[in-house]
Amino acid sequence: MDILNSLLVPILDLKLLALIAIGTFAGIYVGAIPGLSVTMAVSILISFTFSWEVYPALALMIGIYMGGVYGGSRTAILLNIPGAPAAIATALDGYPMAQQGKAGEAIGIVTVVSFIGGFIGIIALAVFAPLLSDFAIRFQPRDYFLLGVLGILLVGSLSGESLVKGIFAGALGVGLGSVGMDPLTYTERFTFGTDGLRAGVSFVAVMIGMFGISEGLMQLHTVNTPSVKQKISRIVPSWAQVRKHLPLGLQTSSIGTIIGALPGTGGDIAALIAYDHATRVTRNPEVPFGKGAIEGLVAPETANNAAVGGAFIPMLTLGIPGDAVTAIMIGALFIHGLNPGPMLMIEQPDMFWFIVSALTLANVFMLIFGLTGIKAFVKIVEMPRAVLLPVILLLSIVGAYAVGNSLTDVYWMLGFGVFGYFMKLYGYPLGPVILGVILSRLLDDNWRRAIISDQENLWMLLKGTLASPLSLVLFASVVLIFLAKTPLWGLVFRKKAA
Amino acid sequence: MKQYVIGAVAALLLGMGGASAQTYPAKEIQGIIQWGAGGSTDTVARAVTPHAEKLLGGSIVMQNVTGGVGAIGLNKVADADADGYTVLFGAENPLLYKVMKLGDKDYSDFVPVNILARGTPILVARPDAPFNTFPEMIAYINANPKAVKFGSTGPGGLPSVVTAMINSKTPIDVTYVPYDGDGPALTALQGAAIDVMPAVLGAAIEAIKGGKMKPIAIFDVAGAPQLPDVPTIVSTNPEFAEMLPWGPFFGVFVKKGTPDDVVAKLVGAYAEATKNPDFTALIDARGFKMLSLSGDAAQAFLTEWQSTTTWLIHEAGLTKASPADFGITKP
Amino acid sequence: MQSQPPRRPGELIFTLAMVGGSLFLLWSAYGIAGFEALSSPGAVPLVTTAVMAVCGLLILRDTLRKPAQTSETVARDILPMPVVVTIAMVGAYALLLKPLGFLPTSFLFLTVLIRFLAGYSLPRAALISLATVALIYLLFRVVFTVLMPPGIVPEGEILAWIKALFAGKGN
Repeated sequence: MDILNSLLVPILDLKLLALIAIGTFAGIYVGAIPGLSVTMAVSILISFTFSWEVYPALALMIGIYMGGVYGGSRTAILLNIPGAPAAIATALDGYPMAQQGKAGEAIGIVTVVSFIGGFIGIIALAVFAPLLSDFAIRFQPRDYFLLGVLGILLVGSLSGESLVKGIFAGALGVGLGSVGMDPLTYTERFTFGTDGLRAGVSFVAVMIGMFGISEGLMQLHTVNTPSVKQKISRIVPSWAQVRKHLPLGLQTSSIGTIIGALPGTGGDIAALIAYDHATRVTRNPEVPFGKGAIEGLVAPETANNAAVGGAFIPMLTLGIPGDAVTAIMIGALFIHGLNPGPMLMIEQPDMFWFIVSALTLANVFMLIFGLTGIKAFVKIVEMPRAVLLPVILLLSIVGAYAVGNSLTDVYWMLGFGVFGYFMKLYGYPLGPVILGVILSRLLDDNWRRAIISDQENLWMLLKGTLASPLSLVLFASVVLIFLAKTPLWGLVFRKKAA
Repeated sequence: MKQYVIGAVAALLLGMGGASAQTYPAKEIQGIIQWGAGGSTDTVARAVTPHAEKLLGGSIVMQNVTGGVGAIGLNKVADADADGYTVLFGAENPLLYKVMKLGDKDYSDFVPVNILARGTPILVARPDAPFNTFPEMIAYINANPKAVKFGSTGPGGLPSVVTAMINSKTPIDVTYVPYDGDGPALTALQGAAIDVMPAVLGAAIEAIKGGKMKPIAIFDVAGAPQLPDVPTIVSTNPEFAEMLPWGPFFGVFVKKGTPDDVVAKLVGAYAEATKNPDFTALIDARGFKMLSLSGDAAQAFLTEWQSTTTWLIHEAGLTKASPADFGITKP
Repeated sequence: MQSQPPRRPGELIFTLAMVGGSLFLLWSAYGIAGFEALSSPGAVPLVTTAVMAVCGLLILRDTLRKPAQTSETVARDILPMPVVVTIAMVGAYALLLKPLGFLPTSFLFLTVLIRFLAGYSLPRAALISLATVALIYLLFRVVFTVLMPPGIVPEGEILAWIKALFAGKGN
């Protein structure tokens, strides 16, 4: 009865309902515009909602969070600039669809699967929160490291024509991620004694540069050919299409929920690992991955929205943030006089159910707002390129600046834009660079923690890995996926099939 | 429309006249937070500032500028004009930059507006650790060298200082596993990836109450009212008393050279803001001790803190340069 | 061996730069902590830069094997005029942003670039630019309070004055 009451709070209170709706709507745009992030919006909201009650403040934040995670896909599909790191994998197949005039269809399917993913994450939060947080907290440094390795294997599917160039790009990304003052030992790495490099390379700046600027420069080659006309007759995907992708969507939603619930990883890594999963389990995609495969949209978009519910799991059960946004929300709860921790769920269960309910509503609003107004959005890409490109460039610059109010980030972004342009010209894939940057800390920090924990002894580390069921499963997955992706396995497999 | 233009021109002239107490703040003040969103410094800064804004009659735009152990944010404020329009929200770390060779600027390049609060260190262990008190822990470590895993957060951080204190009185042979902050390290503690973590009280209170961590000892001469059952280190090992009380702190700073009347206005606003009941409740709940120091008292606090801490970690062999090189006197 | 696509103009130079860069970074990674320990902060950078260097050399081998003759030219296929001008404009933007400020720099950037790329008349290009810059300013500066470099326009004071006016405290 109490649970029902708490669940009904945001539904029956018109003000809360309106705040969730406004938040979700604003979140979609915050997510879509590169440089504006959910993290930033929620930080600003702490000051903005300072004198409010805690429920309205949370309602607005939750709306922004849900909408923002979804919104990142918009610009990823339309302009090849992921609005947020969690939408990087979405650009891989979404943008090719837009180039084929199928932007409307892509946005439609992304909206529906984001809703499904979000919903599964929320169910997991509502039903399995204590269980899942108990599982997530047990991840040891070696498990995080193995998860990172699992992610880096995605280089294999992102490489396109040349695997060597893909590996080169991936290694470059991991290297870029380690630039700056090492957060564990305060050792300077690749800073060459300059202050500008000490803070490291903002990966949003690298992302905007490599995806947005380099693509913009590429399109200047054909600046005077007319833009692709978009077919906007079919936006809401057919039930048959949704059903076809539902099994994959359920798997990737589970991946998203779990990775979201892990305190050391968030929606960006969830989306990438889900994408990798899709490339493996999809036997015969209608369109190859990277050329506009629907599966390439379903996987990351279910996963990143499922990760939202997942991120709340450790936050609400233990007071441990599941990602950067929930970290800020914990701060907000403190400021509002609450004490998030293991006691919160026991002392104030209404808070838990309120958040579950607010998330559900935000998810529904996301579906509604997502499916309306697509036509106007799609028109953006039909603008003459000679006007659109300068505007995108300006937006990219402003976005890169906004991330840290830093001109250094702008220079990085421009540098990577030009560098990425040359990489594209000479057949280097850019996806692995971003993948590397995102996974760099996960790999590097946890490798060091793992090997230190085992007295710098590789043999002990291996023994520990084989002795823990969780590590063993992750280790086996890494080995199997690695073998499956090397030519050796292909030979054996094909012989058997023949 | 005409009015707007006239107003704009007037504002322009005011702006050019430079900052003075009559017109300050004539535009938004930029507030630079040294540490990431959601952390202790961030929470405290964002909790006190709205109250100060009301008293100042202007808005402070808060922004997290992280990296380089906070040096990036500090340098950003140091490089801005000394006009009071860029304010730093910082923690204790800058006082160690010089000896750690992390930067050549510290709070001596700033004027303290308010030293808000001080944290209390606490030693916590995973709930199933095979020891309950500090002497038991030391005995267990001595019986099992290198087996116990201590969380650490880089040289100069709270864990390194507390560990240096422990080592100076009761040398221990343990494995240090590095984390990028006490939040992630305490998470790892709950997952048994590490065994012991020196942390700031506030970050551990809720998990201790929930039984997810075991408190070993509070590193202070007096116990914490938030956790009345937890013993202090001096109750079992009185030899630690000479180094205590010690703790990280948070403060608000402006660049040296900021006009006195502007500093006075900020000092007044923040001093008043720290008295707000909501803020005092937050400070209390987070396990901090309110200081609200300004002027000479703040300066004296900074000088003493720097002298105690730099020499302590210098003698523990954690520094890259001697405090004496920077004229820091030995306590 | 299958017939390979010919080497693109500048490809060899780019590849050589990549190999050189990788080796330089490898040396720099070695400088972090040498081969001190498996857990040293230099361990992962050492591995990544070593992978880069090895891949770089393999790519160089492949590049050298490609036939050098190609019908492509640098001016047409690698750095056509619009690309060169845009990169130059973007570079100029980055340099002028701080001294000149966000509003004038952005306006000039957009006007010139739209005029050059689309061939619009100057007033039309200026109008589009004005609208775009106004929108970006409103969103980033006013709503999200991202403090752009003000440069020569004291927009911070103007904004504060307008806000005070709305709050009924304007003088």
